[in-house]
Amino acid sequence: MKDIDKLQKRNRKLRGLTELAGSMGLAITGLIGLLFLGILIWQIAEPTFIEGERGEITAASESIPESNYRFKWDFPTVDENGKLYSDPVVVRFQWNDENGFHSHDVQINVIDTRQVKTDIYIDSNGVDQTEIEVGRKTNFNAYSSIRVPVSVEQISGPVPNADKTGYPSVNSFVITGDVHILLDDENEQVFQPMELIAWITLLILVIVLTWPIVATLKIIQKLKGRRTLIKLASYVLAGITFVVSDGMFVAAALGGICWIVSGVILYRIAEGIERLESLGRELSEPSRLKHSISDRDGVLMWSRMLLFTSALFIPLLIDIPFLTERYQDIFIPYASGIRAAFYGTIWVMLIAMFVSIPISVGAAIYLDEYAKPNRTTKLIQALVTNLAGVPSIVFGMFGLAIFVKQDGFGWGLGPSVLAAGLTMGVMAMPIIVLAGQEALRSVPRTLRESAYGIGCTKWEVTKDHVLPSAMPGMMTGTILAMSRIMGEAAPLVVIGATAMILFDPEPLAALNGGNVNFTVIPIQIYFWTAEPDHAWHSMAAAASIALICLLIAMNSIAIVLRQHFRKRLKS
Amino acid sequence: MSETIGGEVVPSSTRLLDVDGEIDLMIEDLDLWYGDKQALYGVSLPIARNSVTSLIGPSGCGKSTLLRMMNRMNDLIPICHYDGKISMGETEITAKDADLVKIRKGIGMVFQRPNPFPKSIYDNVGYGVKLHTKPTGEELDAIIEKSLKRAAIWDEVSDRMHDLGTSLSGGQQQRLCIARTIAVEPDIILMDEPCSALDPIATAAIEELILELKKDFTVVIVTHSMSQAARVSDYTGFMYLGRLVEFGETDKIFSDPELELTKRYVTGRFG
Repeated sequence: MKDIDKLQKRNRKLRGLTELAGSMGLAITGLIGLLFLGILIWQIAEPTFIEGERGEITAASESIPESNYRFKWDFPTVDENGKLYSDPVVVRFQWNDENGFHSHDVQINVIDTRQVKTDIYIDSNGVDQTEIEVGRKTNFNAYSSIRVPVSVEQISGPVPNADKTGYPSVNSFVITGDVHILLDDENEQVFQPMELIAWITLLILVIVLTWPIVATLKIIQKLKGRRTLIKLASYVLAGITFVVSDGMFVAAALGGICWIVSGVILYRIAEGIERLESLGRELSEPSRLKHSISDRDGVLMWSRMLLFTSALFIPLLIDIPFLTERYQDIFIPYASGIRAAFYGTIWVMLIAMFVSIPISVGAAIYLDEYAKPNRTTKLIQALVTNLAGVPSIVFGMFGLAIFVKQDGFGWGLGPSVLAAGLTMGVMAMPIIVLAGQEALRSVPRTLRESAYGIGCTKWEVTKDHVLPSAMPGMMTGTILAMSRIMGEAAPLVVIGATAMILFDPEPLAALNGGNVNFTVIPIQIYFWTAEPDHAWHSMAAAASIALICLLIAMNSIAIVLRQHFRKRLKS
Repeated sequence: MSETIGGEVVPSSTRLLDVDGEIDLMIEDLDLWYGDKQALYGVSLPIARNSVTSLIGPSGCGKSTLLRMMNRMNDLIPICHYDGKISMGETEITAKDADLVKIRKGIGMVFQRPNPFPKSIYDNVGYGVKLHTKPTGEELDAIIEKSLKRAAIWDEVSDRMHDLGTSLSGGQQQRLCIARTIAVEPDIILMDEPCSALDPIATAAIEELILELKKDFTVVIVTHSMSQAARVSDYTGFMYLGRLVEFGETDKIFSDPELELTKRYVTGRFG
């Protein structure tokens, strides 16, 4: 007996240790992930420059307002006596605004006295200084009061050319470097009040739906019998919002959806009240209303998600020109954006989803529900499982052979968005099939039996009961596969995504003979990091953050949906 | 004819037994195998219309299998195959080309664990109705109300029809499942230990309901509780090791069974 006790104790200890190790491991992984994210953000705020041993100009941007630059003259060249003999440094400021192109040179004379400095001010008239004196190892600033990014380039002066010493030459050190690259809250967008009203209406209705109170319900009660009118009104309002808006497209679209969802909520509440009244119940118990609104949980979930998303664009007026407005500028890093790459990513994802989801879900259903468990099925199953582990570059080769090239089996789509989407779709298929099968297998047998028990055909059981129950799992698998596709660069390098394009990619260019060139965010990041100019590196960091934000958004949607359906199935 | 299995003398095949009144479902010489293992041996059983027939017997004796055979639910198990004949009036249920949808509409089933669909209460009951007939909105409302009332659950759910069926308590869920079954107007309702997952109060409610349902439907119930069989059923079949050992009116089975084995089982001395 005693031994057993001892054993159990040891066992418990072991299990405790395993548990601790497991959770510690998870925590450490999470921390490392956070650390990397932190490094990324830090990288964009403070780009790391390769420091020369000799004279060099470094630029940094510790919490400096937009478009302001800080310079530091470090380690000027000295002779044997310690005297400075450095040539003056000439720096060229350039920008493009409504008055056209500006280019101003400023000569910086380096003197021996520390802490002596003159700041440079830039406004729409130009630069206020043409020649300044700055002590060695002294920070000085260039302040800009214009709205557009200014590029700074060193024209002459003692930059270590590094041919002898091996230090790389730095010829440009532009930095605006804060989140302004990504986000723009300059209030340039004019918002129609319609959008804000739509958002507030939705907010109020969600609050009413979350905590029904008699007073608010009394108001809605008056609307009963006019349910068609409510629906119609919401469509009309959505249309008006969309038509009269001359602000951001995203905000207008979201405002319109807000109106429609508000209409749905009002409709459902009015319906619920009518149903209660037909049963002879009083409104004095608003908690009862909760139970008579059809699919209240679902409506609440979708409208909360919508409310949250549109909050960014409607009341907070966040615009992301980096994503949706700016193309890459060949010469000025901080005037660039990833518009082309962003739309390329969206198109590739949409085509991949369009191709892979129906086929994979169908395959999963066939393999799990319909196929007889014979040798062929087992073989297919094994092949699918193995395909999920195939490196992505191999899929790239497959795409190159089948979709891109003309000869042999090739479809001859060229290095186009369509070919990329199809390749990515093929890559996602095994993942979605496996996730779907897993989800289908986890549907309880009792659910199938009860459906068969009231006389469903096999297809009805699958369509009405098994699929909805397997939906959360399938959806999670699909969204995870899509996230993987979004971050994948290797297959597209093989297919031939371009380093830089200055127009929106055309999804069907391969079919109607348009310009097939396209690029996606990961490819853009890859090519930017390969640029010698450091400023592009922080742009790559900015693009990475944009990509990570997109992934986080997609995964959050996956989590919310999964929780919603799981609650529904388990409660 | 009789043989000795596991030290007990059991008849090798059941005789066809007469019941009063019309026969709704007739099972004749049914053998059933799961792979190589035989689960039913030459079972014959008549089910009388508008009566409650209960099947009792120790665990693993094949009573659930027999019940699930009556609406071909065993077809869902790939390794299951059978020989014999079950007929319901003119329809032969065991026919290869039998219309399973029609059969299962006519022979509804209530399962051991309450298993409402993860849909609203309204949709739970309405789903089957919409499947088989195409009712208008008002007709559907009426059918749903009627079914819920017949299943004695209307008062509890009438003001929360759009809550999830899975949010009800166990006993309510089981009555909802019964409402779902009777909404499609079957002739026979099969119940596979409907009360085994319920507490005594919910069990009493279901038993009362079964007696009520008898007026309109034919009920076949598998139960582990001898007292339940005695309370609700008109006919009782005792099964042992895949054979229907004895079948007769419930009073007779419980008070004066023909076989020693049955007597020992119903008095609780084995099983």
